[in-house]
Amino acid sequence: MSELDYPQDLRYTAEHEWVRSGDDGTVRIGITSFAQDSLGDVVYVSLPAVGDTVSAGDACGEVESTKSVSDLYAPLSGEVTAVNESLDATPELVNTDPYGEGWMYELRPADAAAVEALLDPAAYQAQLG
Amino acid sequence: MLVEPTAGGGSVRRMSDAALKTSPLHDRHVALGAKMADFGGWEMPIEYPGGGVVREHTAVRSSVGIFDVSHLGKARVSGPGAREFVNSCLANDLGRIHEGKAQYTLCCTESGGVVDDLIAYLRSDEDVFLIPNAANTAQVVELLAAAAPEGLTVENLHEGYGVIAVQGTKSDEVLDALGLPTGHEYMSFVETDWNGHPVIVCRTGYTGERGYELVPAWEVSAQLWDALLEAAAPFGGLPCGLGARDTLRTEMGYALHGNELSVDITPVQARVGWAVGWKKESFWGKDALVAEKAAGPSRVAWGLLATGRGIPRAHCAVKVGDEVVGEVTSGTFSPTLKNGIALALLAPSVAAGDEVVIDVRGREVAATVVKPPFVEVDVREA
Repeated sequence: MSELDYPQDLRYTAEHEWVRSGDDGTVRIGITSFAQDSLGDVVYVSLPAVGDTVSAGDACGEVESTKSVSDLYAPLSGEVTAVNESLDATPELVNTDPYGEGWMYELRPADAAAVEALLDPAAYQAQLG
Repeated sequence: MLVEPTAGGGSVRRMSDAALKTSPLHDRHVALGAKMADFGGWEMPIEYPGGGVVREHTAVRSSVGIFDVSHLGKARVSGPGAREFVNSCLANDLGRIHEGKAQYTLCCTESGGVVDDLIAYLRSDEDVFLIPNAANTAQVVELLAAAAPEGLTVENLHEGYGVIAVQGTKSDEVLDALGLPTGHEYMSFVETDWNGHPVIVCRTGYTGERGYELVPAWEVSAQLWDALLEAAAPFGGLPCGLGARDTLRTEMGYALHGNELSVDITPVQARVGWAVGWKKESFWGKDALVAEKAAGPSRVAWGLLATGRGIPRAHCAVKVGDEVVGEVTSGTFSPTLKNGIALALLAPSVAAGDEVVIDVRGREVAATVVKPPFVEVDVREA
């Protein structure tokens, strides 16, 4: 699985999600290359709604492959400001472009500093073993 | 996000588990980088890199796919009266077929539950070859051995043979390239020779597509697999894992033992009464099944086509209004229809065309009751 990559400009969680800080105080969230590869073909994604308030660690959505169902956990507390609606029709974007077109949703974190407390790429890859 | 397995397949593992048995093609799967999973105590490929369940599924529906199903059991009943003996135990009627034909049959309990569903190859009146499910082989062999009269031999040959399925419209071309026989009638088999080794070529499968299941000796299996993959490549054929095998069989509405059939689910409920020789004098479970058929089953198998967004999964409750009318036995995403589909056991009050709601982990997904298959194919085409 040498093609799996973990961009340097992202933060990560132990639940295999990535977080990218935006310019407007929001963060974008998706699942990692490792996660999409473990799941196999993603065929359905269920996301929170814009305006929902989530707490760090809450199950706030689901990613399904042909054979498995996995919960999405909010990496940070905050309010959902956008969701990737193109995943309704083309969930396979999660496999083909997990850090780009396959993003899942955006949050305005309650505590902007909390992003820095997440795993850096080296720490995330270290815990993949 | 946590990766959790669902029913109908094992959990994905990347490390070898010493407790699991491995197929004669294990080295090939490891070399291809397959994701492996536990299927009935065997470590088998679930999908291959560069493929994935959807691409592998589509290869079978549009061209050809090659599956290692060597985890399937192999057993043999031989000696004078072997056919008659097997016919007095297993549910389907071997009197309906002739030598050289295979038959889908059931090994039932006296209460009508299903120990296993299996394929019986009728080689002669003295020789019946059986392909049970991996996890049930030892039990089927034990039951037959315990019942067998003097002079009959019941052998568990699980690790005597590999099984490779070649499935899809281009199956004949792939077998032709190896000089193997093709075009024989659906559910018939030819015992042939490949590179000096005996191979059984049976026109069977679990995908709904035209195809064959090849039974070579264990030690010849890897060589045959290599030749089949090479012959399939020009047609866009792919090695296919058991993940695609499950989505393919679910689209056809084919029962999977442990889901649609079990010691608690009878053939009458599962609507596989066509595989029961009702007119036979006796077979295991006959009295109970005849009684259940006469009284009418308390639940029956149906297909569910999701009309709302969502993917039904095994054990999801099925409701009409607030009333629970049954349970999903298998559910998945249909790569062909791009839609959630399920097989379910439902109350007899439910009929084709009814609208139901599936409780998918607390979310309600609307579905229509249908009679499978979900996909039109012609597996019997001459």
